[in-house]
Amino acid sequence: MAPTNTSHRQTHNLLLISKLLSLRDTASPLTLVLDSLEQPATPLIKEYIRRAKLSKTHITFIAFETLKPLEGVDAFVSARRKTPLEILKAVGAAYQDVSSSGPSRRRLILIDAINPLLHSKKNDPQFHISTFLSSFLIPSSPTAPKVEVSLVVNFHQDVPNPPAQSPYAPSPLSMLTYLATTIIRLHSFSHILAHKAARDRSLAAPVFGLEEEQDGVLLGRLDKSTGNESADGIVLELEHRRKSGRGVLEWYFLPSASRYPPQYVKEIVTLLDDHPLYRPPQEPDTGAGEEEPESTFELRLTERQRREREGVVLPYFDAQQGDGPGEGGRILYDMGEEDDFDEEEDEI
Amino acid sequence: MPSQPPLPPLLTPYASSLPPSSLTVLSSVLGATGNWLVLRFLYAALTTSSVSDAALGLSETSHGKKRKVVLVSFLRGWDFWRTEAKRLGLDLARLTDKQEFAFVDGLSELFSAPSTASTQAPIHQSSLRGAVPPRTVLPLRSQPGPVPARGPQPAPRPVAAAPNPPASKEIGPVKRLRLSGNGPAALDALEKDIAAVINGVRTPTPGDGQEDPEVLLVLDQPDLLLAATGPSKGIGATEMGDWVMGLQQYAHATVLTVSADSPLIHNASTFAHQPSTPLETEHAAFAIGTAHRAHMVMQLRNLETGAARDVSGVLRVSKGGAWGQNDSTEGDSHWEEKEVLYFVQRDGGVSVFGRGE
Repeated sequence: MAPTNTSHRQTHNLLLISKLLSLRDTASPLTLVLDSLEQPATPLIKEYIRRAKLSKTHITFIAFETLKPLEGVDAFVSARRKTPLEILKAVGAAYQDVSSSGPSRRRLILIDAINPLLHSKKNDPQFHISTFLSSFLIPSSPTAPKVEVSLVVNFHQDVPNPPAQSPYAPSPLSMLTYLATTIIRLHSFSHILAHKAARDRSLAAPVFGLEEEQDGVLLGRLDKSTGNESADGIVLELEHRRKSGRGVLEWYFLPSASRYPPQYVKEIVTLLDDHPLYRPPQEPDTGAGEEEPESTFELRLTERQRREREGVVLPYFDAQQGDGPGEGGRILYDMGEEDDFDEEEDEI
Repeated sequence: MPSQPPLPPLLTPYASSLPPSSLTVLSSVLGATGNWLVLRFLYAALTTSSVSDAALGLSETSHGKKRKVVLVSFLRGWDFWRTEAKRLGLDLARLTDKQEFAFVDGLSELFSAPSTASTQAPIHQSSLRGAVPPRTVLPLRSQPGPVPARGPQPAPRPVAAAPNPPASKEIGPVKRLRLSGNGPAALDALEKDIAAVINGVRTPTPGDGQEDPEVLLVLDQPDLLLAATGPSKGIGATEMGDWVMGLQQYAHATVLTVSADSPLIHNASTFAHQPSTPLETEHAAFAIGTAHRAHMVMQLRNLETGAARDVSGVLRVSKGGAWGQNDSTEGDSHWEEKEVLYFVQRDGGVSVFGRGE
């Protein structure tokens, strides 16, 4: 890849992820996070909370499977045994108290896992995930003060979906990916490194955890943090749909929370391509000397060899002088003392 | 192989300090069952307060607190657990009397007819008089033959002899769960029963110095409940997950065992593209969903290289989906992901060792 292209990507796409994670300008009203047992979304959710705290955004956490409130969450709504309508009411009430006391313009709503809601048996057929999610984003009444709401929904990819009620209805996942303005797919960094190592050797990509389809294996993850310290962190595969309709695809690396202080303001996310373990830094150096093929033989000429080579008059130049037929083009050769005269071959 | 203490040293960091309101999932397969591991959790919780460990000088904060255990078993009865615990040196009957342990039997009468429930019996007998006579006849007919564990037989027993005899026959208050109704309401009733047992254990006994003892809740194979009811009764993976979450609220920490055999997990997996049965889908959703909620997942499986004389299986300890949610509670439990081999000896003793040790 040309170096100018990389720097362009670095500036633009890093700006984009920082805008998305910090919820600036409501760049993405609905973010869908796709996690799995191999890489749970907890680190990313905590990063969202950390950044929202820094920018004094009001955080509402809708817990379908979390028992205890996470640190830094302003409102914790347990969704256990609640109908979608009750959840909506509780979430609305959670913000009412805040908006009356001191207006905080921005609001982050986190849903820890949408799967239980989608799989619930007691949902009535009138329930639509799109209406449910959009009712968080649309203000309840036109007179209400305008609030910038960002919704981050987590979906466990590896939990199997029950068969659809109607065979013509799209699956919940395709519905969510259709609605989302940003999709973040999470990967474990060590798995990405293993995939890359296999790809570099043209081997089949290794599989982990449930994909192994091994009896009794739910989780394949084993942290070997003692050996490789910098391998902890998560990889975000981002797909962002701009308002213009153009999509942006990029891979990022989010280091683990223990690597920086919680009040750290600078951008900590980097491009995956810039990570030293993913793309070792010596690679650009080898690309610089591309005009000469490398070999164990010395193929280049010294200055003297080049001068002498230019000084050689080749036979056809001699032939063009036109001293008559047969005259030009003769090979003139001065015999040295070591040369042996042969009558049959050498005639002058 | 040298014999190891009842709680093998390699297991101690995992079994002894469970963070508050955490969920630990033990997954097992048919060839590598998890009963021994459940017993190790019982042992770790019930003996930490005793003198033997204090003498060893394990003076951590968690050891000073009194732990109590409520075991809810859906696959095995009281006799099984009592016998197995005895081999470890745990006298569950005595601990039950001391109110440090309680057993909830989710197997024996789970599907018995609801009209035999003790409290409702007097009311129902008057209204359902017509239904009573055939029931009193039944035991006479079915008694001579071999009696199946479940089926029509357990129903008439309490009618013949009021609710007290079963309780007095058993040692200690063995609560028996009974499922009635459909959907979440049925689960709510079960939750209420189990919560009553937990609160009964929690109330401090007069001699106790402790104010609020930590209660460890062990749910043994609740997937039976899911398999036996299923979506047709309005109980699916979501409802089961909600039920477990509800129970978690009553206990300090929860340990849940679940089957992770290949057909139950992988037939419905998103990586296999084939139609699956509702049981497969719901079980996989429940098992994987609980692993997402879990703080720690301990997976038991067979040795990949086949059966061995001195290895029973492989134990892999991984961080579950909820690991790292609360930093403050994570701080005091230091453990790392690990894979070890284990061997269950004939006398019930277990040794746990690393590969090649």
